[in-house]
Amino acid sequence: MDWHQLWEITSAPDNIPIVAMLFLIPFYVWYGLRQALANDRLLAQLEADPQMAKSHHRKIFPWKEGWEREVHTWPYLMRIELLAAIIVTFILMVWSITLNAPLEEPANPNLTMNPAKAPWYFLGLQEMLVYFDPWIAGVLMPTLIIVGLMAIPYLDANPLGNGYYTFRQRKFAILAFCFGFIVLWVSMIIIGTFIRGPGWMWFWPGQTWDHNRLVFEVNRDLHEVGLFSWIPGIHSVVGKILFGAIVVGAYYAAAGWLIHKLCTATEFNRKIFGRMSLIQYLTLQFFLTTMLALPVKMLARLLFRIKYVWVTPWFNT
Amino acid sequence: MPNPPPVEPDPITSKSLSGPVLVSSLLLIVSLVWALYDEFYGLRPWKNYQSRFRALYSSYLQKLRGQQAEEEEKIRASEGYKKLEEQWRAAREAIAPRESEIRAEQNLTERQLAVLTDLLPTARGLVTSLIYKLETAEGASAKAKLQREVEEAKKGPFRARVPQKDDTLKDVNFTYDELISEYNRLRERKAALASQISELYARANRVQKQLDEYLSERLAGPRASDVERLQSSAKRFNVEIRQIHVLSTPTFGVPETVLVDRCQSCHIGMDANLVPPTVTLTKAALGVDGSTDAPFTTHPNPDLLKIHDPKRFGCSPCHGGNGRATTSVVKGHGRHKYWLWPLFYRENFDAGCQQCHARDLVLEHAPTLTAGKELFRLRGCMGCHRFQGFDDEDEQLRAVQQEILQQEKIRRENELEIARSNEKGDAAATNEEAQRWYRRAQRLQADNNRIDASLEQLERRSQGLLREWKKIGPNLKEVRLKLRKEWIPVWLENPHTWRPTTKMPRFRLDRDEIEALSAFLWQSGIRERIPQQPRGNPVRGKELFETRGCMGCHAVGETGGTFAANLSRLGEKANYDYIVRWIHNPRERTLPYCPYEKRDLTAEDYRKKGLPFVFGPENSRCPNDGHELQIQQMTVMPNLRLTWEEARDIASYLMTLRQENPDSYPAAPFMNDPKLKERGRFLVRHYGCAGCHEIAGYEEEGRIGTELTNEGSKPIERLDFALLTEKAKRGILPDGSQSPRGKWYDHKGFFENKLGNPATYDQGKVKEPLERLRMPTPNLRPDEIKGLTTMLLGSMDPTIPEQFRYRPSGPQKDIQDGWWIVAKYNCVGCHQLRATEPSVLMTLPRYQDPDWKEQLPPPLVGAGARLNPDWMQQFLENPALSESQLDRNGVRTYLRARMPTFNFSPDEIRKLVRFFQALSSQPLPYVPPKVEPLTERERILARQLFTHPAAPCLKCHMTGEPAHDRTATAPNFLTARERLKPAWTERWLLDPGRIQPGTGMPTGLFRREGDRWIFSGPTPAGFRDYRGDHSDLLVRYMFTFTPEEQRLLLGRMPASPGSGSGEPQGKK
Amino acid sequence: MKRTHILTIVLLALLAVVAACKKEAETPKVEEGPAPAATTAAIDPATAATVSGKVVFKGTPPRRNRIRMDAEPNCVALHKEPVYAEEVVVNDNSTLRYVFVYVKEGLGDRSFPTPAQPAVLDQKGCVYMPHVAGIMVNQELHILNSDPTTHNIHPVPVNNRERNVSMPPGAEKLVFTFPREEVLIPVKCNVHPWMKSYIGVLRHPFFAVTGTDGSFTLQGLPPGEYVIEAWHEKYGTTEQKVTLAAKETKTIEFSFTGAGGD
Repeated sequence: MDWHQLWEITSAPDNIPIVAMLFLIPFYVWYGLRQALANDRLLAQLEADPQMAKSHHRKIFPWKEGWEREVHTWPYLMRIELLAAIIVTFILMVWSITLNAPLEEPANPNLTMNPAKAPWYFLGLQEMLVYFDPWIAGVLMPTLIIVGLMAIPYLDANPLGNGYYTFRQRKFAILAFCFGFIVLWVSMIIIGTFIRGPGWMWFWPGQTWDHNRLVFEVNRDLHEVGLFSWIPGIHSVVGKILFGAIVVGAYYAAAGWLIHKLCTATEFNRKIFGRMSLIQYLTLQFFLTTMLALPVKMLARLLFRIKYVWVTPWFNT
Repeated sequence: MPNPPPVEPDPITSKSLSGPVLVSSLLLIVSLVWALYDEFYGLRPWKNYQSRFRALYSSYLQKLRGQQAEEEEKIRASEGYKKLEEQWRAAREAIAPRESEIRAEQNLTERQLAVLTDLLPTARGLVTSLIYKLETAEGASAKAKLQREVEEAKKGPFRARVPQKDDTLKDVNFTYDELISEYNRLRERKAALASQISELYARANRVQKQLDEYLSERLAGPRASDVERLQSSAKRFNVEIRQIHVLSTPTFGVPETVLVDRCQSCHIGMDANLVPPTVTLTKAALGVDGSTDAPFTTHPNPDLLKIHDPKRFGCSPCHGGNGRATTSVVKGHGRHKYWLWPLFYRENFDAGCQQCHARDLVLEHAPTLTAGKELFRLRGCMGCHRFQGFDDEDEQLRAVQQEILQQEKIRRENELEIARSNEKGDAAATNEEAQRWYRRAQRLQADNNRIDASLEQLERRSQGLLREWKKIGPNLKEVRLKLRKEWIPVWLENPHTWRPTTKMPRFRLDRDEIEALSAFLWQSGIRERIPQQPRGNPVRGKELFETRGCMGCHAVGETGGTFAANLSRLGEKANYDYIVRWIHNPRERTLPYCPYEKRDLTAEDYRKKGLPFVFGPENSRCPNDGHELQIQQMTVMPNLRLTWEEARDIASYLMTLRQENPDSYPAAPFMNDPKLKERGRFLVRHYGCAGCHEIAGYEEEGRIGTELTNEGSKPIERLDFALLTEKAKRGILPDGSQSPRGKWYDHKGFFENKLGNPATYDQGKVKEPLERLRMPTPNLRPDEIKGLTTMLLGSMDPTIPEQFRYRPSGPQKDIQDGWWIVAKYNCVGCHQLRATEPSVLMTLPRYQDPDWKEQLPPPLVGAGARLNPDWMQQFLENPALSESQLDRNGVRTYLRARMPTFNFSPDEIRKLVRFFQALSSQPLPYVPPKVEPLTERERILARQLFTHPAAPCLKCHMTGEPAHDRTATAPNFLTARERLKPAWTERWLLDPGRIQPGTGMPTGLFRREGDRWIFSGPTPAGFRDYRGDHSDLLVRYMFTFTPEEQRLLLGRMPASPGSGSGEPQGKK
Repeated sequence: MKRTHILTIVLLALLAVVAACKKEAETPKVEEGPAPAATTAAIDPATAATVSGKVVFKGTPPRRNRIRMDAEPNCVALHKEPVYAEEVVVNDNSTLRYVFVYVKEGLGDRSFPTPAQPAVLDQKGCVYMPHVAGIMVNQELHILNSDPTTHNIHPVPVNNRERNVSMPPGAEKLVFTFPREEVLIPVKCNVHPWMKSYIGVLRHPFFAVTGTDGSFTLQGLPPGEYVIEAWHEKYGTTEQKVTLAAKETKTIEFSFTGAGGD
């Protein structure tokens, strides 16, 4: 166990946000869910008593005799926000005093640094380059992510859960988010920071980042693997294209089916599903399946050393 | 209706957050304060340094002022000062009475002048305006009228109340003209008085000046008054960034900033504006001895700063580090991984010099670097590693040959062009046109003539280069003739065990490699016979070896030079006959080498062409293809012009030098095994043996190592620390111990470990034998490693702005070039060239004896002022100064040490002569001054003086009389005319000790009398009424000295057979 | 509840920040111990001790080779009988002349006054007299030339500065001083190679040159341990340790062995 190395990485000033993230994200997830579940309990209680539900406007701290029926934003919300603002400012102050931005040596075009890492918030994208053709990882995916995020409000057919934490009423949305953000985005940033060493090789935490390390790893395209390679004509360009198209198509079909199952799993879901227009639903399907493709491909790559599934002269996936 | 009281308070409305808000706001304020502190002090450590310095400095000044004041008192009390002071006072008193009256008059004049100056403008205004009217008036009558008005106006009267001597005011009426004249008179008067005053003071001031000089000349360090001034400035000094800001030489009139160094913000003692050069601050003086955090001293080497004014050069260009950074020591010194030019460590400071002075071999102020470079050359590092300037004769040779081809091409083209032009001319329509063509032809012809000339020079140059081109190691083609067969494998095993001081590094060879190599060398060696030699006399040989000067380069045991091999065990390895030949003439080659055919020519080649098998400087062309041959051994060892007998004696002596019986070496039958030869041939190339040795088939072999010219600026990632990378980054040395310096993942660390043991970076690697790092182990002492590391660290393509680099021309360049030759042939083995550096011989025990001191070869410090360059050139070409009797020194025949023949190339001679002349700032070519011939009378006087018993000249100087010359200790006067420069000779006569400390020539031969030098001993009668300068007389005599004259003198001298203890007895 | 959470966040973040800020290495401080104080004690004449003895020569005395001054007729004239080299002079009692005996170690850092009266080195008949002499640091050495010829006086020191001055007949006396200790400075005349003299320069007055009886005496030594060295121009040096009590008088004997000695 090479503690020195570990310290080198974690103590690098530009890794502070990520180190902090390690603690903060789990904490807030837990904190948010905790509140959500509390609300859910309350909702249950309210639904049990329609009389009260009507008169009740507080989603948390259920109303009691003698309380105001409503509390105003000012001062009750604002003061908390003020407090938060002060604390954040304080933290930023201390941070900026104790850590100066590391100004590195003049760039030398004949000698690039190794590992060369993107700023932490882009490490996810950089990590994706390992799994996809640059065209997809670098252009397509980011576009989709942005478009997808913009599309969310239009895809969201669920009227409930505005202005208060709830899990029960937004299971699907929350899970989708957790998957997309935490499992994929955050984890990839963390991998990019702590796992990827010289030569973008995979170093387990506590492993020495040795510049001379050599690893033997042959990545194969799917059609070269085992049985597939026996399929006649598969190694021709057309063969590859067709095979890849079929596999990818198959994946989308399967993933689509899976997601459809999820969308129609429960009574509630079905209700929401019912509220969706076809266009909404298809868009949703597209984004979710594509999102799902990422971990699938990652696993394929990490576990079975599959480089490309769909090999074409123009792009590879 | 009243509400029943609530069961519990509302958790939102009832709760107050004032607590947390208060706390966090307090925290915020704290952080704000912290931020401010950080801004003003945390990020500006230099403020603290400066205030500390202020305290220390002023207390030091206080002390200093006390001391200086005392000193001054002492001086003031001294006789000389008192006398001057007396004069000064007298002068002042003399002034007093006269001064007062002048002052009085001055005062009056000024007052009067003031009055008139007030009045004048009105008067002038009035008159001139009228005159203007007059000028511009129309018509005679009007003019006449105005004319009259002007006259009127001029009459005035202009009234003024003029002060008088007796302080009364007197009304005076001036006419205009009077007014003007009076005014002018007063002004002249005023000037006159002023000059009178200054005249009056002149003498007093002169004495005053003398007083000051008297004081400052006798006072070490600054005047107390100056110190006082410093103190006040130290009080007023304000804490601020102190930076050197250097602008580039303007391009298009726009200078740009090339350097900003803020080092002085902490190293504030170096700020010349604050601490003048007269003040020296040491840690001791400031009372911060031993502290490593008090960067307050002045620069330890002020002489260096005189050459490199910090105002022009800043600090970081020499020292490295980040001159702009002010936030912390580490940042400023650039000792972090993001700054590529960190401050050089103390022991490697000289590296800074190398950046600009890479072409200088000797730097007076950089001993470590100089040592390093010398070592680099001596150990033959450039045999494998190209380093610009080191042993680049082969490259030059190629360049010259290219140039020749070039020129010949142009020449041919011109030929054709000439022909064409002439034809055109012949066929031209008009004469003018024809002439144009002919002229063109003529011009081109002129060009070609020039080219012919330059070609001829280039030819000579390429010949010369072939001669200059040396190898560090011996010629291995002749192993069969030179060496004992069994010795070779023993040597290859590990040269250092056999001869610890050898240049040959240890190649970490496996047994089979050793066998293959020795087999190849043995079998590829030439098989010619060399003449058998009878035995000589070892005892005489020893004497000769120790006195002829061999020890300037060679050592036996501990004593002797380190330039060439230590011969302690020569007897074990060498073949007598070969050694004899070698000593007699090391340049003698068994077979000439033809660079064109790339092989050694044999007698066979010559016979085929029906030529006698002789080659040498005269016939140095290849019989087959007429190309220039390599007719010399490629060694720097010179020819000492010894007789065969002497050579035999020395050789016999050397053969007696053994430690163990050579017959005890294990037999080496494998060396005749042809099967091994091929492997050997391969290995020779693999290990780059040909870099240092002449080896059959590898004469043109290139260098196998990396070029080191810019090694210092190689990115750290390109230095292969291999498996030691992580260790280096964590300060663990290859042997697992902690490095005292901490992390050594930097150039310094890399070089030091590599030089210590080149195999270091193979540590832990699994490699095939041939893949291992090839660099052999050089067996260096720590200080040697330091030197080389320093050199390499500084060897970068400098980030320093162009304007700082040292690119000398003219004399400076000559000096630069000269040192390379001096080092190449180790002139300093026998001659002293730098006042601070004794020659090797001077350090040998034998030459500590006062008598033997006179046997030392002449020091060459300032030789340029002494020697006539033309003579110098002849001498360097043939130090015997004679075609017939070579077995002697040209000038000092009495010296046992022998000035050898180096077979310099013309270019080398040129460089050397220029070098010496430049060192003494003598212009070239040399135009000897006219020496005025002696009158008959003077000649007689000179003779008398020369032969006078009181004048010992001819007792020490050679007279051409063999018996005497054997014991003489100074050259013959006959040589003076061509050899010496008159001006120097006179300086020499007057005070030799000053020019050459420790010379046998005594000081005080002449004494000053009025404006001339006269002989200090009793002079012959004839001198009574001789008014001339005696030393000058002698010099002129010397420069007109002839053999006849000498014989004549000897006639008058008492016969002097070699007196008793003339022969110096060497102390054992 | 809420408050504690917020604080925990702050603390967590702070921890992260603090953990990450690296301190820059500081230059180590080096302390130096004070230098040992000098020990100097005045000499009390009452307790002063003496070392005396002689320098014995073992073996057969070498033949003194004759100096041939033919090169300098003026000097030849000055000598009735032949002159012999003074390199090795063995007295009749088989003691060695011209041996310079002095206290090498044991006086600590005592300092001694420089004697006011000068030492004299005369050049007479092309011979230096005395042949071997000792003076103290900065003591004046007056050099005379009583010959009708020009000499040049040329001390060849190692630690002192070298000079070489011409002395024509009847020249003013020269005054040399040597500021640094040195045993011994050879003095020579380049004009007359046979002329040789040796001057020992010491920081203290405890030295002697053996004369015709080969004896020496060092008086007024404070009690203590001493290393006494005997120096001879040909046979080099030998040294002895002596321990002196107050008022004690020790006798020691040095011996040099020439060729054929056992």
